[in-house]
Amino acid sequence: MLKKYPTVRYVSLRAIWYFLTFLVAIALNFFLPRLGSDPVDIMMAQSSFSSPEIRKQTEENLRRDFGLVVVDKQGNIIRDESGNAIRASKFSQLLNYVGQVFQGDLGTSFRNQKPVSEIILQALPWTIALQFPAILLGWIFGNSLGALAAYKRGIFDKALFPFALLMSSIPFFVFGMVLVYFFGVVWKVFPAVGAYSLELMPGFSLDFLTSAAYHYVLPFFSIFLILAGGQAIGMRSMGIYELGTDYIKYAKWLGLKETRVLMYLFRNAMLPQLTGLALSIGQMVGGALITEMIFSYPGLGMAMLTAIQTNDYPVIQGVTLLITTCVLLANFTVDILIALLDPRVKASLAMDSK
Amino acid sequence: MNFSKTVVFSVFTLSLALLISCGDEKKGESRSTGYPRSETLYLAGSQWGDPNTFNPLIEPWLVAWPANDRFNLMYEPLTAYNSLTGVTEPILGTLISYDTEKVVVDIQPEAKWSDGVSVTSTDVKFIYELGKRFPQATVAYVGEFVSEIKVDTVDNVERVSFMVNKEGRNNPLAILDQLQAIRIVPAHIFEKHLAENNNNFDEVKKIKCDKDPVVSGPYTLAHYNNERIVLQRRDDYWGNKVLHEGKLPVPRFIIHPIYKNNDHFAINLQKGALDASMNFIPRIQEKRKDGVSTWYDAPPYFVPGSMHFLYLNNTKAPLNDRNFRRAMAAAIDYAAINRLALSNYMGEIKPGLIMPDGLEKKYYNAEEVAKHSVPLGDREYAKNLLEKSGYKSVFDNNGNLRHSIGPNGDTLPTLLIRAPAGWSDWEAIVNLVVRQLRAVGIDVREGFVDGSQYWPSLPSGNFDMIMRKPPVAVTASLPWNRFNAVMSSRNWRPVGDGNFMNENEGRYNNPNAPGYNKRVDDLLDLIPLITDEEELKAAYAELNNIFLEDQPVIPVCHLPEEYYQFSTKVWTGWPTEKNPFAPPQLPWVGSGINTLWRLQPAK
Repeated sequence: MLKKYPTVRYVSLRAIWYFLTFLVAIALNFFLPRLGSDPVDIMMAQSSFSSPEIRKQTEENLRRDFGLVVVDKQGNIIRDESGNAIRASKFSQLLNYVGQVFQGDLGTSFRNQKPVSEIILQALPWTIALQFPAILLGWIFGNSLGALAAYKRGIFDKALFPFALLMSSIPFFVFGMVLVYFFGVVWKVFPAVGAYSLELMPGFSLDFLTSAAYHYVLPFFSIFLILAGGQAIGMRSMGIYELGTDYIKYAKWLGLKETRVLMYLFRNAMLPQLTGLALSIGQMVGGALITEMIFSYPGLGMAMLTAIQTNDYPVIQGVTLLITTCVLLANFTVDILIALLDPRVKASLAMDSK
Repeated sequence: MNFSKTVVFSVFTLSLALLISCGDEKKGESRSTGYPRSETLYLAGSQWGDPNTFNPLIEPWLVAWPANDRFNLMYEPLTAYNSLTGVTEPILGTLISYDTEKVVVDIQPEAKWSDGVSVTSTDVKFIYELGKRFPQATVAYVGEFVSEIKVDTVDNVERVSFMVNKEGRNNPLAILDQLQAIRIVPAHIFEKHLAENNNNFDEVKKIKCDKDPVVSGPYTLAHYNNERIVLQRRDDYWGNKVLHEGKLPVPRFIIHPIYKNNDHFAINLQKGALDASMNFIPRIQEKRKDGVSTWYDAPPYFVPGSMHFLYLNNTKAPLNDRNFRRAMAAAIDYAAINRLALSNYMGEIKPGLIMPDGLEKKYYNAEEVAKHSVPLGDREYAKNLLEKSGYKSVFDNNGNLRHSIGPNGDTLPTLLIRAPAGWSDWEAIVNLVVRQLRAVGIDVREGFVDGSQYWPSLPSGNFDMIMRKPPVAVTASLPWNRFNAVMSSRNWRPVGDGNFMNENEGRYNNPNAPGYNKRVDDLLDLIPLITDEEELKAAYAELNNIFLEDQPVIPVCHLPEEYYQFSTKVWTGWPTEKNPFAPPQLPWVGSGINTLWRLQPAK
């Protein structure tokens, strides 16, 4: 019945596919961390106990608190004949987890007993504040430069292209460290570590905001320049390709204004770039890790790394759930945007419905 | 074009708004003046993850600095051990006597909690006997060492006697360690918490103790978030008058920044944004031009205090062969390790488990060691020993080892040396050890693993060889606790998942095997009870000789245990070799805390 409304049909089909992907991703998020060592074993190994009995007692308490053993309604551990606690099966843990997730409960960190939602809410604003502007501005800046280089060619292109190529091929972490070394350590023009001066109290004071902005510079440019470089390269080659196409030649013969031609060029060359943008935004949470480590910048990546090192299942699951959701939502949005923006897709949808 | 202008503008506005909103983490905090740099001491390295709770009763790995470990800033122990002089210095208590029957401590009569209540024996008994009420409490282990706590009053001073648990561990030396390891908490506060929660200890453990905690120490918690923990000086601290001639500790605030990357210690020390830290910084002498100093001006820069070991799985062939282990100990070039992996932070290494310098020097017997040890760093000796014991090595034409053959003709397995990936100093050591052992024909390889694999493999014994620094603190019981960590088989379990050993993880000296040497465990039991110095020296020599003969583990380097590097950009007056008024520790552990009263602002 949706045949009459091809766009609606397209969107709802996409939505179903994305929901299925989401379910698979939840299951993977759940099982993959559990392939490694047991978190309780890691904790036990890092502390010492005076007797095997106390060790066993502590271990059982932890397993009970973490929901890794079977308990009765009063919360007592159920034991087998030899007195050992019965481990909860992975499947029952998964059901438990999915149930909690749909009630909006992400669980509590094993490592420091903080609610996972609190960990995420404390870290997420920093990650977004750093990554989102850097990615978006880098994308806009890079694409504008790329389009300009493709159109103008000549000396501008010759200067820009090698620079952009260099930027896009330096790994994130190397560039971050180079920035820290020169601007933070050698020339000491920008602070190399942290998100604000620790002498200050976070708040609305001018001092704090100035300090935060000052600390923002290096991490921002470590992402911005690399992303802009990559985007400029992509846009340039797309632009050069589009310049050779008939419609641009035709537009030029018609004697259209240069800005007008550039607009047409930009619109068509931008489509693949748009997908790239969505992916970058979707992955910004995971991609933040290295920047955060290099600059000791607060954020989600670090929370994730600590959690992985200690097999803190609830935190790993919480963060990966967030990443999954972001990536899927970003892709979904792009799919829809492309359907709206790309006349070819629109046309093929209309064809399908006939 | 207007469109993109709007986008740029809105992105800037959005990011500014986000930045402000996430900065505003602690609503209701009115102070914006902050913590002036000239009045604040920055120390780091004891808090890694996000701080969440400051409850001193819960497991150390859950608690944030300084409530988590042996830090004397907020909660104080009875005494502090001075690793330089060996003296047990008073804090909340004064050590009166120590023998095989009991350890006696007088409580400081002037000691007070921050709410004005006196610190008494009730507080001491509360924490030391907590394990009797709640076996799951982390201090429950005390019960195996202390059978009873007796309280008398002598000249209006409360005298507490910790009776040695003769049926338990029978180890007064360990009680001496506990005096400085266990911090006293306010009984009147925690009894109230317990009463409010129907005596449910697990509920009390959920209390965060982060709002105006009742403490006895010179500092208290002022503020914390995921980037730092801030302590504020308590100007009415009881100990200023009693222990420090009425002076105040000099820094008004102590900030522990939470770094996420090891490099940030060095960067911030050089910039003067960090005043002192205890972490491995390579080539420290090159940082001197930026005002970073150490205890000694010349190598080894730090005071050695701990041994890092290569633990060997004593149950697996060929590592179960004493001669094979001895050959390995001989083949390693320790000087090269010091030079190439450790920036010359190690003095000359001597064989055995007793440090040849510092307070342990009196037990070190060079003659005995020479008689029983293999020569260190002697490849020819190692090759001869292997050959004599029936091992053969097959090299290819380029002189690279292909494999080695055991005494009964089997090809030996390639042994892996485990170490946590990313621990750069250990990785460098392992790389060198592998190269050196392969050169004499021992088939070993690097096995760097993630922390989540490294830690569980230790207690279960699932390794061939593994880098390990046993948790041996700088306390009165050295070197006994080092021997105990490496050689004790009193809790012996076979290798395997679920079979945990927290000492002697290499499973040396199996008590159920025919070759069991009972003398080792007997000596480990006996030494804490010996009070005569000559007798003690003889016992240590005997134990050390057994170690040298059997070589159950290989000490690869002597490194500082408690140490620090400091910057003089903001604070001066740090203790050093030339001005040793406090031991080389960060001013928050043991008697290193005295440094806080002696620092001076830099001009």
